[in-house]
Amino acid sequence: MALNRKVGFFKGLKYKGGGPMWAWILHRLSGLAMVFFVGSHIIAGFLTQQFGSDVGIAINIVYENWIFQLVLFFLVIFHAVNGLRVTLLDLWPALLEYQRESIWLEWLVIIPLYVLILFTVLKSALGL
Amino acid sequence: MQKITLKLFRYNPETDTKPHYDTFELEAEPTDRVLDLMEKVKGYHDGSLSFRRSCAHGVCGSCAMRINGQNMLACKTLVQDLKTSRITVEPILGLSVLKDMIVDMDPFFDSYKKVMPFFVNDEPKPAQERHQSIEDRERFDDTTKCILCGACTTSCPSFWSNDEYIGPAAIVNAHRFIFDSRDKGAAERLQILNDQFGVYRCRTIFNCTVACPREIQITQAIGEVKKAIATGSLD
Repeated sequence: MALNRKVGFFKGLKYKGGGPMWAWILHRLSGLAMVFFVGSHIIAGFLTQQFGSDVGIAINIVYENWIFQLVLFFLVIFHAVNGLRVTLLDLWPALLEYQRESIWLEWLVIIPLYVLILFTVLKSALGL
Repeated sequence: MQKITLKLFRYNPETDTKPHYDTFELEAEPTDRVLDLMEKVKGYHDGSLSFRRSCAHGVCGSCAMRINGQNMLACKTLVQDLKTSRITVEPILGLSVLKDMIVDMDPFFDSYKKVMPFFVNDEPKPAQERHQSIEDRERFDDTTKCILCGACTTSCPSFWSNDEYIGPAAIVNAHRFIFDSRDKGAAERLQILNDQFGVYRCRTIFNCTVACPREIQITQAIGEVKKAIATGSLD
């Protein structure tokens, strides 16, 4: 009998698609992470305001933590800039020839922006 | 000569319940191709090894395989290009494995047939050939290079998750006719591709473009088809 065609998550991850494929995976994961963050923010707000719940306060403590915020900022910036890159490439297919260069450009935008955020968050969190 | 450790995916539907890997130690020249190594294994070590090959010169598209984790043609991949002495060869992903490296290509060719990959023009035949300017011919030159090896479609995560997606190879072959100024079937092809399993399943991941052994700008071709559907114009 022939083997099933199914490609599992980890089998797919092992495919060496390089930078463009990892950008796509990170885009998906960062999207999911934002859904999780917004969801937990809504639940925490609801629980705290309606019931004065300790669970809501505990969730608040987690996402107000500076380490959580640094991760979140990175994911949001990456998702936004990568999404913009893909949108521009989809709108102007002639640019698709330069997709590798577009990824370098993307990191050229992300890195300085993130360094600025890193500096601001750490300054506030650690009282630098 | 250098020593090569060749790790091969093995699955025999008559004797195996699940796949395994066999490893062979071989002597190879840096300019040997991966296909040469596999021929050596089949000829001198294990005659039951199964894989497709025909022209062995990058034209027929039979020997697309996953070599060290990436889709390539075994006949075009030199040992020295892999920059390692450990080579792993596996079948392409997303299609049922029949035996060893041989996959069931039927779903791939079914998608190909859907896009009407042939010349459509019911107008009366001219006395001589149908003329085309150099610029008009240039418009679809890139997508004429496809050899239907399947390296693009089987590198696509959208295809892995759903084989109803028509896949990059079918779209490339549709592009070849859609943008041919002599062809009159563009509207019908665009309608076929404007489907929930058509071009919009492409997530602009670029695995297809990276995998193509003919260096076709596949994602760009898909982008042009998307744009033609969205704008209703071939310009």
